[in-house]
Amino acid sequence: MKLEETLRVLYDEGVEFVIIGGAAMQLQGSAYITEDLDFCYARSSKNLQRLARALKPFHPRMRNAPENLPFQFDAATLERGLNFTLSTDLGALDFLGEVSGLGNYNAVKAVSENIEVFGLDHQVLSLEGLIKAKRAAGREKDMKAVKDLEVLLDLRKRTGL
Amino acid sequence: MTPEQQKLAYELITNPPAGSKLAEAKEYGIDLTLLVENLKLTPTERAEKLVEGARSLRELQLAGKRHRAAK
Repeated sequence: MKLEETLRVLYDEGVEFVIIGGAAMQLQGSAYITEDLDFCYARSSKNLQRLARALKPFHPRMRNAPENLPFQFDAATLERGLNFTLSTDLGALDFLGEVSGLGNYNAVKAVSENIEVFGLDHQVLSLEGLIKAKRAAGREKDMKAVKDLEVLLDLRKRTGL
Repeated sequence: MTPEQQKLAYELITNPPAGSKLAEAKEYGIDLTLLVENLKLTPTERAEKLVEGARSLRELQLAGKRHRAAK
């Protein structure tokens, strides 16, 4: 996982995204460890072009797809899909056009916070947003994460953090 | 996290208010000290910890794979 480089590449290209999933949990104070990085991205034509341009040098391909399956990572491909689980030279990156329980980029951004990470400002899904998304996903691991997130929220409210 | 917030956080995880999410989590077995330790870090330090954790996890997985292959 190359978190710092990934964030810088997306930032430098002006990609509109929100950090979600396990990385957002960790940034919000959870002890959760994840191997992939999840992002919610804006679906505007401009943003699809920016995202394609940002990731192209890092050889994105669909994760768990046959090696010989043709895959062109460009704005047109992004336009035809919604959620992309990618293997890249930066590590496993997941780009979601919509997040369960929350909706599209604008809805996700509305429940995110601006947090400085590695010297750059990024939108990170809030604890409240993470709880809503994890509840909607509803898998066993998500429900465990909800407990972790709820206690964090409680602790932060009571201590004024 | 200020020293006062830190003190309050440790008090809260040692004796969580009855009926709170903190009490529920303690009963569930969540290590609340880990959460306070994480909250003491800056977001960048948390990000670095995530990268390190992911690297360790990957190494463990590879070691497990090698062990199974050697059997």
